[in-house]
Amino acid sequence: MVVRRSAGTLGIAAILLAACTSASPGASEAPGESEAAASEPATAECIVGVSWNNFQQPRWAATDKPNMQQTIEDGGGTFIDFDANLDSLQQLTDVDTLISQGANVLVLLAQDNQAILPALETAKDAGIPVIAYDRLIEDPDVLYVTFDNVGVGKAEAEAMFAEVPTGNYVLIKGDPGDPNASTFLPQGWDEAGLADKVESGDITIVADQFTDAWSTETAQNNMEAIIDSANADGVQIDAVLAENDSTALGVVAALQAKNYDIVPVSGQDGDPANLQNVAQGLQYVDVWKNSNELGKVAGQAALDLCAGTAMADLTIPDGLIDDSVAPTAGNAAADFETPNGTTVTSFILQPTPITAENLDLVIDGGWITKEDLCAGVDAATAPAACQ
Amino acid sequence: MAVAERVPLLEMRNIRVAFGGVHAVDNVSIDLNAGEVVGLVGGNGAGKSTLMRALSGAHRADSGEILIGGQPQTISNPRDAKAFNIETIYQTLALADNVDAPANVFLGREMTTHLGNLDDGAMEDACRKVMARLNPHFKRFATPVKTLSGGQRQAVAIARAVYFNAKIMIMDEPTAALGPAETAQVRDLIRQLKTEGIGIFLISHDIHDVFDLSERISVMYHGRIVDTVDKASVTTDDVLAMIILGKKPEEASREELAKLQI
Amino acid sequence: MVDMAKSAPGPPQEAKGRSLRGMLAATEIDLRLFGMLVALAVILLGFHILSGGKFLQPSNMVTLAVQASGVAIMATGMVLIIVSRNIDLSVGSIVGVVAMIYSLLMVDWLPSLGIGLDNPVQWVIALALGLAMGAFIGGFQGFIIAFVGVPSFIVTLGGLLSLRGSVWLLSSGAAVSGLHDNFKLIGGGAVGSIGGVATWALGIVACLAIIGLLIYNRRQRRRFGFQVRPMWADVLLGAVGCAAALGLAAFANANFWPAGLATRYAVENGITEPPGGLKIPVGFPWPIILVIGVTIVMTFIATRRRFGRYVYAYGGNPDAAELAGINTRWTIMKTYILMGLLCAVAAAIASARLNGSTLDVGSSDELYVIAAAVVGGTSFAGGIGTIPGAVLGAFVMQSLAYGLSFNGVNSPTQNVVAGIVLILAVGFDSYNRRRGGG
Repeated sequence: MVVRRSAGTLGIAAILLAACTSASPGASEAPGESEAAASEPATAECIVGVSWNNFQQPRWAATDKPNMQQTIEDGGGTFIDFDANLDSLQQLTDVDTLISQGANVLVLLAQDNQAILPALETAKDAGIPVIAYDRLIEDPDVLYVTFDNVGVGKAEAEAMFAEVPTGNYVLIKGDPGDPNASTFLPQGWDEAGLADKVESGDITIVADQFTDAWSTETAQNNMEAIIDSANADGVQIDAVLAENDSTALGVVAALQAKNYDIVPVSGQDGDPANLQNVAQGLQYVDVWKNSNELGKVAGQAALDLCAGTAMADLTIPDGLIDDSVAPTAGNAAADFETPNGTTVTSFILQPTPITAENLDLVIDGGWITKEDLCAGVDAATAPAACQ
Repeated sequence: MAVAERVPLLEMRNIRVAFGGVHAVDNVSIDLNAGEVVGLVGGNGAGKSTLMRALSGAHRADSGEILIGGQPQTISNPRDAKAFNIETIYQTLALADNVDAPANVFLGREMTTHLGNLDDGAMEDACRKVMARLNPHFKRFATPVKTLSGGQRQAVAIARAVYFNAKIMIMDEPTAALGPAETAQVRDLIRQLKTEGIGIFLISHDIHDVFDLSERISVMYHGRIVDTVDKASVTTDDVLAMIILGKKPEEASREELAKLQI
Repeated sequence: MVDMAKSAPGPPQEAKGRSLRGMLAATEIDLRLFGMLVALAVILLGFHILSGGKFLQPSNMVTLAVQASGVAIMATGMVLIIVSRNIDLSVGSIVGVVAMIYSLLMVDWLPSLGIGLDNPVQWVIALALGLAMGAFIGGFQGFIIAFVGVPSFIVTLGGLLSLRGSVWLLSSGAAVSGLHDNFKLIGGGAVGSIGGVATWALGIVACLAIIGLLIYNRRQRRRFGFQVRPMWADVLLGAVGCAAALGLAAFANANFWPAGLATRYAVENGITEPPGGLKIPVGFPWPIILVIGVTIVMTFIATRRRFGRYVYAYGGNPDAAELAGINTRWTIMKTYILMGLLCAVAAAIASARLNGSTLDVGSSDELYVIAAAVVGGTSFAGGIGTIPGAVLGAFVMQSLAYGLSFNGVNSPTQNVVAGIVLILAVGFDSYNRRRGGG
C-alpha cells in the first residue's frame, strides 16, 4: 500500500533536486565570493554576472569561461555565472538573480535574441551595462562581443570553393531560430560568392535544410535522406557546406553510413572530434574561433565598464589577444549595424579557417593536444601536424 | 444437511482492524463450520467487508487469531489465504477488465508449460469446464471480460473461487448486480457448495437471501458483533432490529423497537 | 499480429459468411494492427507519388528502417510501462548516458586498462557494461517508483534531467568519437548488414516459422476442442506471411553495395568485376535484425509469460492484481529494468551510427517513443496496447520524418506534421473505441 505522505515529500524533494540540477550544471554560484569581494577595501568592486544559454556545449567550459574568468579576476573583479539550459524563461530568471547578487556588469549569451529583451530592460533600469556575448541582442545600448559570424561563413565558403569551385552542393544549416544559422552565416557564404556561383550555374544546390537545435543526430538523419534523394535522382553530391561542427559531425556520419565517397565538408567551432576528422581527412575545413581570445576581450571590457569607461571609448589593450584574431576595424570599439538596422558598439574578432595543412595552429594555440588530435590517424595519410 | 463438526472449519478470535483512530473491526470473534453458510449482515460501515478482507489476506488484521481446522495460522496476503483454500468473491469482483475469462480465473495462479510459458489452451479448457457448471451458455472465452454482462462477470468471479477447491468461501454481495434468474442460479450454487462440505461467509444486504441460505447469522454494528444467532431461532425483524439498533432485541427499549415497526 | 494481441477485443465469434467483414473476422486479424499497416502503406505510397516515383526503393526503405530502429526498440518497452499505468520520461537521457558510456569505454577507459580498439572483444566488454548500466538505471528508477511509491512522472522527470546532466559530467562537455570497428556494425550501413545469404536464410526461416506457428496453433485448438480458423483462412495467412517474409528479404537484397565499395572489395579479394560492377546484396542491416529480435522477444514476454500477463492485468485493474496475489511491485520494477535495457540497446545503435557520442544523443527521444506507443494503440488509461503496434507506430512516425526530409521539407514542418498525425491517430483510435465498445 502506498503511504501518501512519504510519496508527497519525496516528490517535492525530487522536483527541487531536478530544479537545482537544471539551474547550473558546471556553472559556479559564488555568494561566498561576492561577500569576500565586498570585504576587500579600496578598489570599487566589479562583480561580473555571466548568463550562459547552453553551458553544456563543449566550447564554453573549455575556453570562453576560463579565459573570461581569469581576465576578470586578474583585474580584481569577481566572476559569477548561471546556465539557462536552452530555456529562454530560465535565462530571464538567471539575469534577475545575477542582478540581485550585485552584478555591476552583465555578460549575456542570449538563448533567444527576442526573449532576452525583458532582461535587457531590467538591466538598463538598474543602470547595469550589458555585453552581448557571441550572440546578437538587438539593442543600441549593448556591447556586442563576438566573432565575425559573417566572416566565419565567408571563411567556410571560401575554403570550400577553393577546393570544389563547381559542382553540386548540399547546404546544412543550424537551428532555424538562431540568427547565426538563418542570416549571418549564409550572408558570409554569399559574400564568398555562393549566390553568384548559383546564378552562373557553377554551383547547383541539391538540398538546403535547417537542423533543429543544431543536433548531430538530426543532421545525420536529414543528410541520409538527402543522400537517398540524390541517389534516386542520379545526382552526385560534390560538397557539403555545413554551418558548424555538431552538424558536420552528423553529415560525416551519414556519408559513412551510406558508404558515400568522402566529399569536402565544412564546419566551425573547432570541436575536438571534428578536428580529429580534419586530421583523418573526413572533414575539409573547420573554421576555428579562438574563443580563448573572445573571453579575454569580454572580460577586459567588463572590467573597463565597471571602472566607468563609456562603451564607445572601449579599446582592446595591446598584447591581450593574438594579432591574427584582432578585429579588422582595429582595437577600438567599432559600430556594427545589425540585420534590423540597429547600431551597436562592438568588438568583432576574426576567425581562423583550419584545414589539414594548418592544424599546427590549434595545437600551438593550446586548443587541443597533438596526441588527442592525431588519435586514429593513419601514418600513411597523416597531415603535417601529426607527423 | 451437513452436521457441524466439533472443530470448526474456521475460527476468527478477537480480530481488530483499525484505520488511523477508527476501529473498523473491534474485537470480533466469529467461526464457520464445514457445509455451513454464515450470513454476515450489518449496515454500511459495520465492518463486514473489512473483517472478510482480513480473512482473505487483502488487509492484515492488527491483532487477533485465525484458526483453520483448529490450527492457528497467519494470513498476511492474498497468497496466504489461497494457500489455505480460502477463496473470495469480492463485491467489486476484482476482475481485470482487459483480459479474458480464463486469464482472470487463473490470475496469479496461471498454468504453465514445462518451459514456464503460459498454457492458455489448458487454462481455457479448464475454464470452459468450470463455467459449464455455472453458466452453460457462456461462450466468450477469448474476449476481455469488459465485454461481458454483469451476470457473466459474476460467473467468472465465482468460477475462480470454485475451480481452486475452496474449503472456505467468502461471498461479498454475490447477487447485488444480478437479475432474478441469475440470482436463483447463484442460490442453487451456494446450496450445492454446502453439500460439498464448503463453508461460506455470505455478506448480503438482502435479508431474505440471507435467511434462505444461511444456517447462522452474525450481525455487525460499528465494528462489533452484536450477536451470532441460529437462523431457526430468530425472525427477520429481530435481525433487522439488530442491524439498525446495534443491540439484541431483548436489550432494546420498547420505544426503539416501536420506531422500527413503522 | 494474429493471436498476439489478446488485449484487443476479437470479433464476435458468430461472424461467418461471405461478407468481407465476416472473412476478416474469420482470419482473426487484429483490426487495429491491420489498419496501421494500411496507414503505413498509404503514407509510403503518398511520398512515392510526391517524389515522382523515386521514394519506394530498397536503399531508401532501409535508411528509413534504420533511422526508426532505436525508437522502435524502446517503444516495445514503453508499451509495458504505459499499459501498467506508468510513464518513463527518462528514456532519451538513458540513451544519452549509455551511448556516452559506450564511447568513453571504447575510446578512453578500456584502452587505459590496456584493452584497446585493436582488441577483438573490447567492444563486447563495452557493450555488456553499457547494457548492465542501462538495466541498472532502469532498476533504480523502478525501485523508487514501485517500492518507495513516488509517482513515475516525477521520478523519470528527475531522471531525464539528472541523467542528461551526467552526460556532460562524464565527457567534460566534449563529443567522443572513434569506436571499435565491430561495434560500428551495429549501426548498419553496407558493411553493417548480415549480407545476401543470411537475409535469404532469415526470410525462409521466417516463412517456415509462420507456417509452423499456424500449424501449432491449429493443433493446440484441436487438442482442446476449440473452434479453429477455417482452413482457407489459415492457408491465406500462411501464404501472406510467407510472401511478406520472402518479399522483405528480396527487397533488402535488392539493395547493393555502393559501386566504389564493391570495387574495393573486388580488388582486395582478387575478384574480377563483371560488366556493370560487382553487385553485392546488402540484405538486412543489423539494426533491423535487432528490431525484429526485440519485437519477437518482447511480444513473447507480453503474451506468453506470466510477467506479461501480470503487467496487463495490473494495468486493467491494479486492485484485482494485488488481490490475486501478484507481486505487483516487483512486476512494475521489472518493467523499468526492461526499459533501461532496451534504451541501452537503442544507445548502441545510436552511437554505432554516429561512430561516437555527443551531448545531445537521444534528446527528445522520450517524446517519439511515447508517440510511437500511443500511435500503435497503447492507451494512457492503462491495460491496452500491443508490442507490434508500437513498433509499427515507430515506423509510421519515422516514415513521416524521413519522407518529408527526402522531399526537401524542412524540420519545423516535419514537427508540425508529426504532431498532427499523433493527434489524429489517437483521436481516431479513441473514437473507434467508444463506438466499438473496446
